[in-house]
Amino acid sequence: MNQILNIFRKDLRRFWREIAVSLAFLAIYAWSEVRIWTGERSWDSVFLHSGLPSAMVLISWWFLITRVIQGEPLVGDRQFWVTRPYEWNKLLSAKVLFLLALVNLPLFIADFVMLGKAGFPPAHYIAGLLWMQLLITVFVTLLIAALATVTASVVQMGLSILGILLYAIAVASLTSEISSADFASTRSPWLTAALLIGTALVVVLLQYARRKTLLSRCLIGGFAVAVVVIIVATPYEAAINRDYPPIGAGEPPPVGLALQPVDPVKPGNTFYGGDTVQIQIPISVSAMAEDSIVIVDGFRAAIESTGGVRWNSGWRPASNTIFPEEQRTWFLFTMKKELFDRVKSSATKMHLTVAFTIYRDRSRTEFVIPQGEFSMLDVGLCTTESPLQRGLSCRAPLRGPAFLLVTADAANSTCPPAGGENQNERRGIARAWDINTSSGPAEFGINPVNSFYLQLRPSQGVDMNWARGAGLCPGTPVVLSGPVRERSNRLELDLGELQLYDYRMGGYDAYGGDGGIMLGTHH
Amino acid sequence: MSVIRTENLVKKFWRVEALNGLNLDVPEGAVYAMVGPNGAGKTTAIKILMNIFGPTSGRAEVLGVESARIAGPAFTSIGYVSENQKLPEWMRVGALLEYLRPFYPSWDRALEDELIKQFDLPRDRKLSNLSRGMRMKAALASALAYHPKLIVLDEPFTGLDPLVRDELIQGLLERAEESTIFVSSHDLAEIESFASHVGYLEQGRLRFSEELAHLVERFREVQVTFDGAARLPEKTPENWMQINTSAAVVRFVESHFDSERTRAEIRGVFGEVRDVTFSPMTLREIFLAMAKAGRNTA
Repeated sequence: MNQILNIFRKDLRRFWREIAVSLAFLAIYAWSEVRIWTGERSWDSVFLHSGLPSAMVLISWWFLITRVIQGEPLVGDRQFWVTRPYEWNKLLSAKVLFLLALVNLPLFIADFVMLGKAGFPPAHYIAGLLWMQLLITVFVTLLIAALATVTASVVQMGLSILGILLYAIAVASLTSEISSADFASTRSPWLTAALLIGTALVVVLLQYARRKTLLSRCLIGGFAVAVVVIIVATPYEAAINRDYPPIGAGEPPPVGLALQPVDPVKPGNTFYGGDTVQIQIPISVSAMAEDSIVIVDGFRAAIESTGGVRWNSGWRPASNTIFPEEQRTWFLFTMKKELFDRVKSSATKMHLTVAFTIYRDRSRTEFVIPQGEFSMLDVGLCTTESPLQRGLSCRAPLRGPAFLLVTADAANSTCPPAGGENQNERRGIARAWDINTSSGPAEFGINPVNSFYLQLRPSQGVDMNWARGAGLCPGTPVVLSGPVRERSNRLELDLGELQLYDYRMGGYDAYGGDGGIMLGTHH
Repeated sequence: MSVIRTENLVKKFWRVEALNGLNLDVPEGAVYAMVGPNGAGKTTAIKILMNIFGPTSGRAEVLGVESARIAGPAFTSIGYVSENQKLPEWMRVGALLEYLRPFYPSWDRALEDELIKQFDLPRDRKLSNLSRGMRMKAALASALAYHPKLIVLDEPFTGLDPLVRDELIQGLLERAEESTIFVSSHDLAEIESFASHVGYLEQGRLRFSEELAHLVERFREVQVTFDGAARLPEKTPENWMQINTSAAVVRFVESHFDSERTRAEIRGVFGEVRDVTFSPMTLREIFLAMAKAGRNTA
C-alpha cells in the first residue's frame, strides 16, 4: 500500500497542472449545463456552444490519462523506474487509484450536482450514476489507458489516434460496401465491443506485468483485423432472419402496405449521388390496429427486370415510424447509375422485405400541457418555455424514456396561429415521440440528464400546411402514453411491376396530391 | 560464489547478433570491468542482466536469480546506473531521493546525506537543470544509498570531466567493501585505476575475463634484437600477437608471458639473438593489441 500511495502522491505532484485543467473543464461543462436547466442560458447559445465544453472535458481526460500512464513509460528500454523496486501490480494499482480519484470521482460529484440542479434527487439515482461511471471507465478510460501503455509519448499517442480514425473510416467504408452489413452491425455491436474491451484489458495487464510492447501492439493489430473479419464473415442475412422471423402462417400482417402509384411530373429531373441514383418508393399504409405502432427497422429491395437483370439492395437500416392514422410511408435506397440506366425504362418487378417492430399503445393518460415547468409521467421534467416554441423541452434523469408518445388533435392546439394561418382549419392527429433503444440503468455519457425535444409531427398523407401553427403550448390537451415493444417480424411485399425511372428521387412530386412528409430512411 | 553468471547468452535484434554466446562469471566482491569497443554488446548484456529485455537464448543469473525473474523487490539489492537512462528530470534531487526512500527497506538516510555531501549535490535543484556529470552523481547517489549487494554501471564515465570521474570512482570505491561492482566502459585508464577483474567483449563474445593483475602480468611487449637483419619466421606461437619487424628488431606482444618459457620460445623460433627485452603494458595497450589482433587469446 505504501508503494501505491507513494506513486500516487508523486503523480499528484507531477501532474497538478493537467489535473487542474481537467477539473476546470469539468466544472465549466457542469456549470454550462446547469445554466440551461435553471433558465440562465438561452437555447440558441446552447445550440451553438453545447458541444465544446464536453469535448474539452474528453480531451483533457485523454491528455491526463495519457500523461499519467506514460509517467512510468512502458515502452522502450531506457526508463528509470524499470530497474527500481516497483511491483507491477502496485504500479498499476497506483494508476487505477489516480484515475478513480481524478477522473471518476470528480465526474461522479459533477453528475451528482447536475442531477440535483436539474430537479432530480440525486440520492435516488446512485446505481445509475455508478453504471455511468462503469461505462466511462470501460469505454473511455480503459481504451485511452491501453493505447497509452503501447505508446511512448503524447505525440505518438496522437498519431495513433489519427491512425485509428483512418482505420475507422476504412471500416465504415467497407461496411457500406458489404450487403446488409450496415443494418446488421448497428443492431449487434456486442461482439466487437466485447473484443475491444477484452483486448484493451489484456494489453494493459500485459504491458504492466511484462512490458511486451511488440506483443501488445500485435494484439491491437489483431483486434483491428478481427473486426474486419467479423464484418466480412458475419452471416448478416441469417442474423436478420433470426431477429426478424416471418409472420406466422395465417397471422394477419400488423399493417397493410402496398405500392402507391406516382404521377411523374419531372421527367428530366434525377437525383444523382456520384455514380448512384436514389430511388424513393412510396408505400400506402392501411389496416393498422388502433393500438399498434409499427417501426420499420430496415428493409431490402429486390428487382427483376424483363430483360433478366436481377439486383437487391441488401438490408438497409430505416427508421419509419408508422402510426394507425398514417396513410403513406417511403422507402429510399440507392443503386448504381449504370444498373439504373439498364433497367429504368423496362417493366421491373419489385419485391420489398420489411423488418419491423410492433409496439402496443394501450396505457394512455389524458393531460393538459401546463404553463411553465412540469413533471410528465415517469419521464422527467418538461417545459414549453423555449425559443423553439410549439414543442416541449424535456429532461430525464440518467436516460431518456424507452418510448414516450404524445398524441394531440391539431384542432385543439392552443398555440397561436403562424403567419397567415387560419387556426380554424387545423385538423388531424399529430404525434410527438422519443425512443431510446439503449439498455441499462443509464446511458453512456458524462451528462446524467438526458435532454430531448418533443415536437408534433403531422400524419403522413395529410395537408402539409397543417404543421405551420399547431403544436404543444400551455393549455393544449394531449394523450401521453408509453408504447411497449411486442415483437419483431419481417414482411414480404410484392409490389408488382413498375418503371424505376418514375420512382427516382426528384422524378415525381413526393409532397403533391394528398401531401405528407417523408420520414425517410438512412443508409 | 558468482554474483553474475551467464551461459551461452545470445541476443539478436532481428538479424543483428548483439551477443553471441556470452559466458560471464563475476565473483562476489569483485570490481568487474567489462570493456570493449562501441557496439561490442556491453549495454545489451547489462540490459539482459537487469531484465530490461530478455535474451534470445541462453541464460543469465544475477544474485542467484534468473535474470528474467528480476523485477520489483529484487532491485532492492541492485543499484543500476546507466549513461542513457531517462531520469525523472522534472524532479528535484531531494524529491527524487525522498520518493525513492520508501521503495528500499535498507535505505540509509545517513548514507544519503553523506553521498549528497560527497557529490556536492544541490537537493533543491531540478534534475533537468543539472549538468550531465551532476545528473550521473545524483543517479549514483540514489543507487548507493540503500547498500546494494550489486552495483551495475553502464558507461558511467562517458563524457564526464576528470574531477567528476574521480568523485564517482571515489564514491564507488567506498562501497566496494560491501558490494560487487560491475561496470562497463571503454575508458580504460579509469578502469585500470580501480577494477579488480576485467573482461573484454568484442562482437558479442567475451575474448577474455580474468583478474586485472593477472592480465597485466601475462601481457608483455617483447623486443628481439638481432646482429644482422631481422628475419621473420613462417610460424610463430599462437600467443604472440602483432608481430612486426624493423631493421634488426622484431617486436610482438606476448599474451601468456612467463620469463623463462617466453625466452625459450624465442630461442626456439629465432635461435641465438643479440638481445631480448620485455616491457610491461598498460591496460589500454593490451586492449588495443587485442582489438587489432582480433583473435581469441583467452
